[in-house]
Amino acid sequence: MERQIINKRKRVFSLQPNKNPNALFTRRYVSHLVPALKKINMNKSSSKTNHQSFEKTVKHEVDMAFALSAQEFAWSRFLQQKLLSSPHDDLISTSSSPSEILERSSKKQGGEKHQDRDEEGGEIKKRLKELQKLLPGGEEMNMEEILSEIGSYIVCLELQMIVLKSIVQDNTS
Amino acid sequence: MLEGLVSQESLSLNSMDMSVLERLKWVQQQQQQLQQVVSQSSNNSPELLQILQFHGSNNDELLQSSFSQFQMLGSGFGPNYNMGFGPPHEAMDECISRTSSCHMEPVDTIEVLLKTGEENRAIALKNKRKPEVKTRGEEKTEKKIKIEAETESSMKGRLNMRNTEASSDTSKETSKGASEIQKLDYIHVRARRGQATDRHSLAERARREKISKKMKYLQDIVPGCNKVTGKAGMLDEIINYVQCLQRQVEFLSMKLAVLNPELELAVEDVSVKQFQAYFTNVVASKQTIMVDVPLFPLDQQGSLDLSAINPNQTTSIEAPSASWETQSQSLYNTSSLGFQY
Repeated sequence: MERQIINKRKRVFSLQPNKNPNALFTRRYVSHLVPALKKINMNKSSSKTNHQSFEKTVKHEVDMAFALSAQEFAWSRFLQQKLLSSPHDDLISTSSSPSEILERSSKKQGGEKHQDRDEEGGEIKKRLKELQKLLPGGEEMNMEEILSEIGSYIVCLELQMIVLKSIVQDNTS
Repeated sequence: MLEGLVSQESLSLNSMDMSVLERLKWVQQQQQQLQQVVSQSSNNSPELLQILQFHGSNNDELLQSSFSQFQMLGSGFGPNYNMGFGPPHEAMDECISRTSSCHMEPVDTIEVLLKTGEENRAIALKNKRKPEVKTRGEEKTEKKIKIEAETESSMKGRLNMRNTEASSDTSKETSKGASEIQKLDYIHVRARRGQATDRHSLAERARREKISKKMKYLQDIVPGCNKVTGKAGMLDEIINYVQCLQRQVEFLSMKLAVLNPELELAVEDVSVKQFQAYFTNVVASKQTIMVDVPLFPLDQQGSLDLSAINPNQTTSIEAPSASWETQSQSLYNTSSLGFQY
């Protein structure tokens, strides 16, 4: 029966769709994002909004779908709270602009010259602080929690990227 | 890991001093005796094993309760008592090597303890302090004996379950079974020679090991971490990678916003299923968050999707560094159905 399905190449399912966490996340994500995008589409056609706020809305929905699809993790709850509390502000705080990144890297290099003599613990702490900033909710976590949450965050980010890419891809080609 | 420990122990046995060898032989003899006793009085074995596991701890109450139960056994059990720490598993054998040497002197105190339950607390304290002191001395003198310490918190409240399981096994089986079961409940830490065995440093070491485990996991996830050594460098890579991913997501969402009006969102069904196909294949190669996934022979379909994505990615994604580009290209290369870094 499965062979028939596979041979058709139209429909592909995993045997245990709910067990594989990656597939679970992706499915949830898509199921959250696509309706939201449709809604945005409809709203946009009805009212004229400028491009920037539209982008923000889309970004908001993207982040929201992201947070909703990964409820098992602490960072998703923090992200959700952040999104709900500031719905239409500029949410590009989750990613840093290139200039900020350059600043940070130059600071690090400058700092490292000083700290060649200092303990390695100081450097590690610096980086942990940065990691805290990157991870939603990172400020409230200690080192161990950050490390465990970062793993899941990274994987979910990768999955999200794949989804977004393929959605974009499907519509550009 | 257990087998390794056991084999190490046997190796160390060969190289040990005679005093220790003798001691261990004595211990094993006692162990056999204990087995006989235990088999005779099967009722008491849970309590016995309770004591066996307690001995390494500083738990007053439990010691007290278990000793009070031991009063029943009578004096004939007395001389055999201190070896009794034995047996169920190999970990306890090493406890024996520590505790037995301690208790060769204060056999009297133990006998007294067995007979009168009232002085339990005082004597229990005495017995506790002696092994602790002795272990530090032992560490310096003995060659490769590994000493085990167990933390208090993990001891409380779980012993009955474990005891019944342990008591039902033979000595050979329990070397694996009970210690595995115990490992789930205990925080099992082995102190190596020259390292402190006080509780603080043990807890710290356990914490450090946890952290290093997590770092290893992250190393597998984040591409390019293998070349970098040291926590700081790895954290750097991780930070860069997270930033890169976040930027990409942002970029893609912008692109999505641009495309949105023309978006044919009816493709959602197809997308979902493509993802499922992709992930059932790719996921198997990833570690942790992973569960067993049946692999479908979906190679061609999967690669069709992703080869389409591939050229798009290299052109459209705003400049990650060169290393990222090559890595992310290989990331989506499905020739071998896995994430390759």
